[in-house]
Amino acid sequence: MADKKRYGFVIDVSRCIDCRACQVACSVENSVPLNHTRIWIHDQGVQGTFPELSRIFIPYNCMHCEHPPCIEVCVSGATYKDPDNGLVLVDQEACIGCGFCVEACPYDARYLNEKRGVVDKCNGCIQRVEIGQKPACVATCLGGSRLFGDLNDPGSDASIALKNAKSVFRLDVEGKNIDTDPNIYFVNAPESLTSLVTSDAFKQQGKAVPRAPEYTISEEGWKKVLIPAIAAGIGASFLVQATYFTKQLIEGEKEFDE
Amino acid sequence: MPNSLSRRDFLKVGGAALGALTVSKFVPPRVADAARTLGVLDPNGDGYIPTMCEMCVWRCGVLAKVEEGRVVKLEGNPDHPNSKGKLCARGQSGLMNTYDPDRVLTPLIRVGQRGEGKFRKASWDEALDIVSTNMLKIKEQYGAQAMIFSSTHNLSQVQFENLLYAFGSPNYGTQRSLCFNAMVTAFSLTYGIEEPSRDYTNVKYILLTGRNLLEAISTSETSNLIDAVARGAKLVVLDPRFTKTASKATEWLPIRPGTDLAFILAMINVIVTEKLGDCEFTARYAVGCDKLPNHVSFYTPEWAAKKTGLQADSIRRIAREFAAAMPDSLAHPGWRTSNFINSFQTERAIATLNAIVGNIFEPGGCLNAESPEASGINLGKPTQPAYPRLSSLRLDGVPWKYPLVPLKLGVFQELRDAVLTGQPYQAHGWFIARQNPVLSLPDRQKTLEAFGKMDFIVTIDIIMNDSAWFSDVVLPESSYLERYDPLTPVGSKVFIRQPVIEPQGEAKSALWIYKQLGQRLGLGDFFQYQDEEDYIRQQLAPLGYSLDEVRLHGYVEPPAMQKSQEITFNTPSGKVEIYSETLANAGYPALPTWEEPPSPGADQFYLLTGKVGQHTQFGTQNNQLLHKYEDYPRLWMNPEAAEKLSLKDWELVEVTSEVGSVKVPVQVTPAIRADCVYLTPGYGHLSKGLRTAYGDGVSDSELHVTYVDPVSGGQALSQTFVMVKKA
Amino acid sequence: MSSHKNISIVERRRLCEKKYKKHNLANILTHWFNVGMWALLLPTGIAIISSPRLGLSPVWMQELFRNMFGGAANLIKFHYTLGFIWGFVLIFNILVGFRKYFVPFAVKRMLLDKDDIEWLKTKPLQMLGMMKDKTLPPQDAYNAGQKLYMYVVILGTLGIMVSGPIMAFRTIFPPLLKQIAQPLHWVSVFAIVAGVIIHVYMGAIFPEEKEAFFSMFGGKVSAWYARAHHEKWYWEKMQEEMDWEEEVARQIQESSKSRPSSAHSQPST
Repeated sequence: MADKKRYGFVIDVSRCIDCRACQVACSVENSVPLNHTRIWIHDQGVQGTFPELSRIFIPYNCMHCEHPPCIEVCVSGATYKDPDNGLVLVDQEACIGCGFCVEACPYDARYLNEKRGVVDKCNGCIQRVEIGQKPACVATCLGGSRLFGDLNDPGSDASIALKNAKSVFRLDVEGKNIDTDPNIYFVNAPESLTSLVTSDAFKQQGKAVPRAPEYTISEEGWKKVLIPAIAAGIGASFLVQATYFTKQLIEGEKEFDE
Repeated sequence: MPNSLSRRDFLKVGGAALGALTVSKFVPPRVADAARTLGVLDPNGDGYIPTMCEMCVWRCGVLAKVEEGRVVKLEGNPDHPNSKGKLCARGQSGLMNTYDPDRVLTPLIRVGQRGEGKFRKASWDEALDIVSTNMLKIKEQYGAQAMIFSSTHNLSQVQFENLLYAFGSPNYGTQRSLCFNAMVTAFSLTYGIEEPSRDYTNVKYILLTGRNLLEAISTSETSNLIDAVARGAKLVVLDPRFTKTASKATEWLPIRPGTDLAFILAMINVIVTEKLGDCEFTARYAVGCDKLPNHVSFYTPEWAAKKTGLQADSIRRIAREFAAAMPDSLAHPGWRTSNFINSFQTERAIATLNAIVGNIFEPGGCLNAESPEASGINLGKPTQPAYPRLSSLRLDGVPWKYPLVPLKLGVFQELRDAVLTGQPYQAHGWFIARQNPVLSLPDRQKTLEAFGKMDFIVTIDIIMNDSAWFSDVVLPESSYLERYDPLTPVGSKVFIRQPVIEPQGEAKSALWIYKQLGQRLGLGDFFQYQDEEDYIRQQLAPLGYSLDEVRLHGYVEPPAMQKSQEITFNTPSGKVEIYSETLANAGYPALPTWEEPPSPGADQFYLLTGKVGQHTQFGTQNNQLLHKYEDYPRLWMNPEAAEKLSLKDWELVEVTSEVGSVKVPVQVTPAIRADCVYLTPGYGHLSKGLRTAYGDGVSDSELHVTYVDPVSGGQALSQTFVMVKKA
Repeated sequence: MSSHKNISIVERRRLCEKKYKKHNLANILTHWFNVGMWALLLPTGIAIISSPRLGLSPVWMQELFRNMFGGAANLIKFHYTLGFIWGFVLIFNILVGFRKYFVPFAVKRMLLDKDDIEWLKTKPLQMLGMMKDKTLPPQDAYNAGQKLYMYVVILGTLGIMVSGPIMAFRTIFPPLLKQIAQPLHWVSVFAIVAGVIIHVYMGAIFPEEKEAFFSMFGGKVSAWYARAHHEKWYWEKMQEEMDWEEEVARQIQESSKSRPSSAHSQPST
């Protein structure tokens, strides 16, 4: 257990300046199409009245949750939590691009790449991490806001930053029944804004972050209508068959047919 | 060389040149092959080639990841002091700049009217011949001075200047008067250097006047500032807007535009009056400190409060805090500081403020009076004959109208105006390289009018930017990932920009273009290098390194020179000139002095300008990656002001100045003073050849009125006042 | 039509030994091809569905198959490759014999008539031992139950063949179709499975249908079986036989007419 890595992000909110270098770097590194993004930078806007103003930026991407709702709905087994490093990854060879997981993610961290017909999202730049580099967003973060590392290793700079943080919050709202246990920890946000981000006011493109997982009509219909129906049908078939078979067993077979 | 060539001379030189030349025969080894031989790329042609970014003037070191002959990712070079391993959004988007579908990849000759955008493709031979023929015609008919050369400073600038001087024209336009003339002139006069470098290692107190470092990003400096603030340094920001820098500040003061000078003078007043400064330092290294107490006695915090709209107590307190933190306190010199005509005095005051707390040249101090570019490294250069003597006046009034403006800065907007007036003589040709004056000069209607007066315009660019759109010939330069540029010393190292991939299409480097053109103009003797690699070898010669050595890691670090421990300043007195004799002799105040800035009328707003972290001035709006992550540019307005005008967020408004008007949606935000509006520059492109940028936003150059500071030549970009109403 | 129960033992024996061809070779091969492919497609298909929220397959099975094939992606590729082969062969077979075989078959054998409905109401109860005295209405080559099963199989197969490629050609189809395709594919498969449970029981286990099972290998059933279970078809076959006999006789007559025959011009002694 101690050997298993738990890769996650620690983001120092006081250092993010919304320069968007991370977004561009990620787009290039991971060939993100122009109409989608793997990283968002939440900007609640200028708070307060002139001249007592404040503004804070909260960059986020896939949370690589411990309890990912996306994995719950993936039918093809494409999305999985890597047992060795804890990253939630998408095997794009296995993905059929149906988008059940896109609806299920409370952070809207996933998107459908129309051209390739598969789902994509932050993969922790595992292709870089494997060769000893930092994820593209972390490597280029001008403010030093983004940290990435093994949260199970107390010596990693992410863990150390977490330990020394003045305040910590995650986008994981009790009372909203969203228990994803996310692996992005936001540190050093001013007190006034910590409550804001965990309220309904935190929205990205009109949707609350996090929001309850949503399920498509097809998936809900499948789960709630078709499965019971088929279960009933197979049960009935089986019962019918079993009845006659039992009768057959009881009555035995005539040697000379009729 | 005589000012005008006789017909026979022209035919002799030009003809021979043309006869001997086809497009230069030198073909450098294919980029990937060369990099493989060097060991930079592996046998498959994959790896990282070190070079330098050109998405802004900070020029971070870049490691360009190459796979199969394509750039696939850019990383900051950890060994480059300007990047320290990081790249900003623009740096990261650099490969979209190279692979922009709107790249101009062949020479283009205009066939329709100027501005129609109708061009035909031509060979380099034909295009260069047309350019040289026209330039020589203008030289013959009107003299070399009738040809204007303008370029925004870049790594090939030295050869641009070479062409300019060899041709014999005095008319040199750079972007500097639109940018930092105030700072450079002030600091040259005060410290003897153009721009002191900043050191944030130990800083405890930072005062920023404008200098929106977190949006006008200079990668390493931006990172250093954030580190300092995170470490506990106090950051005070004076800005009429609540910028992203202000959002990280310990204290943000919404100062009235144009009155930073009052604030600084009041700070000096407090420090001098309460004797909080480092008198030992000033006694030893400064001139004129003794005159200060009397001179600034009028500039009390109470006086400044009235001017700035801020609290006198705050001003006093900040002055005391600033002094208390000395010598680890830093009043940032700023960058594009030429906002108001009094900005020159503001910069003088900032220089003085730093001097009186003695934070210059202290070991580990915040300011270094060594220019960031001064490295003590002496690079070689190709030999060349003496330049022709210039006998005509510069059109931009330097130095005959603006005696204190350094020659290499110039007053660009004045140059443009002189084209219109035809005084003291009419210019007839314009040679533009890596610059977009149509969008950068204030009052772009005038710039387009000036274009109309030209017999011939040629632009060197990588995409069909606005100035190229209105030109007669467009010469395609290779992008920064495709070319060599001359070596650059940065700190103690010498960096190279080298091609990472083969240039696409027919694009060529500036070094090549200048030489080709020079030869056709009969100036071949001034371009004594065979090709780019030869040029760089000549630069390396005094240092004793081979080209391969530099190319391998992207830089070399010559052994550090012994610098003298003595602290001297490159001023006439050898000291910090708080009192400047030079200024006095020219008839200007010798000490930093208050100058009342103009104020808008009752129905008017200050029109502010600024920067965003996702774009660089006027050249990146077509980059699809940056376009993706930009904020749509709207007019910022305070809710109070918006309510008075019955405006709602996103409503279309008409903004009118003395010279023009634009229609743009409004952004109602408390992040700006009620007497100000703000527009992000760089939008409203006119060129339809920029398919991503065309139609996006509006241009503030359509609104800006031309105001020239007589001392530094700076264009007072924030002195334009506008009226706003529903469209 | 009379009940077969009244036929004498001697006649029954004669009928037992007489054979009629029920299934041709194409039918037989297609049937077992289908069975074989399903034997591979069904388990791999089940092993693919990994949604914990739906809980449609055990995790050990998913892991077993993924290990066997080297990952989820390979398992899926195997499944749809096989699926395409299966689909292609079936469609090819049907198309080739479409006009000549399939259309007449559909018209003649697949439609439900009054007898079928009556049969459906009576037979299941009779199998349970009720309604012993009621005579079952005569059935055609395929009884009503088998006809219903045909509908399930055809609709289900169509559902599979439409939804499968939608999921496999993921770059062509929009997400909404892919979302619908998944439950459609699954419900099509398992509707057939429900039918298969009865089909296999009836065909292979239920004692009365033993001949039917072997006919799926040899192609033939006895006339007695036909008389007993598929009476209408029996009479059709009888009619065919009679027509055949007549035809043969006629042809012999015709050929003997055209030839000088010693039978006709024999001199009297």
